[in-house]
Amino acid sequence: MRFTKLRWLAAISFTAALPACVGAQAVQQSRYGGTLHVKLRTASVSLDPREWTPGSLASAASQKLASLVYDRLVTLDDHAKFQPALAMDWSHDAAARYWQFKLRPSVQFSDGSPLTPADVVASLQSSLGKGFDVIAAENGVAIRSAHPAPDLLEQLASGSNFIFRRKPDATLLGTGPFFVVESVAAAPAETNPLAIKPARIKFRANGGTWSGRPFVDFVEVTLGEPPLRQLLDLQLGKADIAEIAPDLVRKGRQEGLRIWNSAPRTLVALRFDDSFDAPASDQLREALWLALDRDTMANVLLQREAQPADSLLPQWLSGYAFLFESSMNLQRARELRAAFPAGVPGAAQPLRLRVDAPGDLFKLMGERVAVNARQANLMVQVALPTGGNNSSAPAVALHLFAWHYDSLSPHAELGAVVKQLREGGDLPANTTDPEQLFAQERRLLEERRILPLVLLPEYAGVRANVHNWNASPWGDWRLADVWLDSEDPMITKTPAGSPKNSSSARSPGARP
Amino acid sequence: MQSFGKSNSKIFSRQFYCSLILIPLAGLGAICCFSRDALADGDAALREAAQKLAERVASVPGLRGALRLEWHADANWSEGESAHWQEIVKGEIEKRSLSLVEDSGAPILAVFVAETPTQIVLTARTHVSDRDEVRIVAVARALLPPGSPPVAPVRLERRLIYESADRILDAASPGNGEEGSLGLLLYRNFELLALRVDSKGAVKQSVSLNAANMKPTRDPRAQLTAQGNSVSMELPGKACEFSWEAPGEVKCRAEKSAVAEKSLWQRLTLLASPCDGSSWKLLGFGGEPNAREVLQVVPEGSQRESSAAVLSEFPGPILGTNRAQNPASALVISQNLRTGTYEIYKIALACGN
Repeated sequence: MRFTKLRWLAAISFTAALPACVGAQAVQQSRYGGTLHVKLRTASVSLDPREWTPGSLASAASQKLASLVYDRLVTLDDHAKFQPALAMDWSHDAAARYWQFKLRPSVQFSDGSPLTPADVVASLQSSLGKGFDVIAAENGVAIRSAHPAPDLLEQLASGSNFIFRRKPDATLLGTGPFFVVESVAAAPAETNPLAIKPARIKFRANGGTWSGRPFVDFVEVTLGEPPLRQLLDLQLGKADIAEIAPDLVRKGRQEGLRIWNSAPRTLVALRFDDSFDAPASDQLREALWLALDRDTMANVLLQREAQPADSLLPQWLSGYAFLFESSMNLQRARELRAAFPAGVPGAAQPLRLRVDAPGDLFKLMGERVAVNARQANLMVQVALPTGGNNSSAPAVALHLFAWHYDSLSPHAELGAVVKQLREGGDLPANTTDPEQLFAQERRLLEERRILPLVLLPEYAGVRANVHNWNASPWGDWRLADVWLDSEDPMITKTPAGSPKNSSSARSPGARP
Repeated sequence: MQSFGKSNSKIFSRQFYCSLILIPLAGLGAICCFSRDALADGDAALREAAQKLAERVASVPGLRGALRLEWHADANWSEGESAHWQEIVKGEIEKRSLSLVEDSGAPILAVFVAETPTQIVLTARTHVSDRDEVRIVAVARALLPPGSPPVAPVRLERRLIYESADRILDAASPGNGEEGSLGLLLYRNFELLALRVDSKGAVKQSVSLNAANMKPTRDPRAQLTAQGNSVSMELPGKACEFSWEAPGEVKCRAEKSAVAEKSLWQRLTLLASPCDGSSWKLLGFGGEPNAREVLQVVPEGSQRESSAAVLSEFPGPILGTNRAQNPASALVISQNLRTGTYEIYKIALACGN
């Protein structure tokens, strides 16, 4: 329900910020051409899906850019319908263990070579992982699953399940609406060696793409800009679209920026280190759980731009997250603390909390956890990640981490959380039934090894010259569909259907 | 094998859910135009999910006696949609020897309905002895009929006459005396398709317009004019013609007019007032794709915001307009943001509104 509320909130706030664009003679018409300038917070990305770490914020940014270059077999629209992409049609057996996909004919990679079933097999075999067998067939592929996979389309429409071809020189080719023409790594600025010139990737429209040429000629992405700088760039017109840090959203709104938000995409949570073991550790975990003030974190620290998190999966993804309720109970936390035997970490010596997520905001959240713990007479000390291996440093007991939801399948997402965050953890493969999934998630939460804190939507500032911005509630930006105002001096008008790029200027493909 | 990924078009009206509630009063159904197929398929999926939930609730150990049903529908649902679901879930629970009462002292059986990107999740929660019991089932949203369009203040007479999962590029009345028949241009799976449908929305003829050789585009546009059996189309850079009598013979010629430059769908459509014969024009379409749109009809010659304007809110952006059969009416193509379907409304000026 929060999902739909957010969607409406986004639509309302968005509409309110739109200029009164319609007059009898001022009807907007889509235009081709121009360069879309995009600024992302992450300092580096990889366009090779095999290098992505599930749940990481860096991989989320990489995925966003990869969707410019690669396609998927299917996509999900905003109305719960799967739409054909590289697969034109699909079917499955009654048990949903054997799926067949018919590939769209005449699809070409950005170098003009044809897409083949072998490309799909090579791409998906590694991304879908164990339990799936991807087989080339005439005009398509078949996917055989060891267990019923009714959520296979959700998986294929999200995460790292892009279709690409790896060339012998290690470059990756895609069939998507853009291809990479330039990639510049971050480097010291020429004028001031102490300043860093951020990394930059330039994408060019792929005129031959099966899905129709994108409206803009180029997308230029600048990486690693500090949050305040991004806000300023939007105001100054140096960026058309920029990520907005949650703690700057209010400022952006106050300054009249057009701000879009997704459904909550990132879980911020605490995780007890796998090596952490102490007497009465169950009581310690319970006491810390009861001491956490999620409401204050969401409403004060994050200025109501986040939601308190009671579950591992958000409501918009699972549909049952409202069943998990956690409320702060300092009295009970203190009682548990008082009953600790001597020598328990957190009582006799502080628990070391390491902030694993990048950025000042997460450091502040770590400090807030320490304050909450202190109110229950628990000692938590925030430690920032160190560069090398410091064997003499006290062991870390707690991690504050950010988990980005990559999959549209709740089962696949919870499985990824368990696999990544619990040593040796694996979710039973037959838990696509929501009741079983709920039971699994409840079990995980009751262990108190992972303590959810808040859920963060993704925020982006979008300049008024950007039209047809129609990002999905789960954060797919769909940049191939946006177009820019003609007033933009950078636009050179191109007739529809006649792409400007020539084959001689075309890059052989995306650089990993 | 179950097959997906194919589009179908079904007629449907905004009185859809009224009809569902009033199904026993079958006589009234005749005045509502909706797809019986969609109703049957959607209700089957919904009923199956409700049955599954009811079975799971009935199997909760120790659950007996009368219960009070507490219904929590998704906040985005219309009252009609919510009431229909509640009725079906209630019926299925009662079929399983669990009595539902209004008594406020009875134990609560809370049922929650939530939408996810692909599913509708039904959750039942009750308290037995000293424990909470939760039962959850899910149904694919794509299997269900689209929700009823939000009720908007309507000052124009407006009727939904056709809906399609495929993008409708244009629609036109052939003006051949077949009351309510339509010619349509669809963009299905990156190909252009012409349909001829009768007044009940049934597809009478379908023509693939591969001969038009329309390039795949993110911004498909086409303008349709129908006159009897003859159909002419304006596409970016070309004009095509064919006849429903020989639909295989599509003739196209290059058209170097400014057709690619102008917006193909933003033609000015004038309505004649049935009251005094004055001309009114349609204004207000062509906004952003993610917002509902208000259509204004103003006296010809007046500006937007005219106090004489009559307004009608559509469930999504207005993609095009065209003349209908009589001069007091027009066809409006819109995309329903709630369901994603493309819809054709017939609007007409009526006296006294």
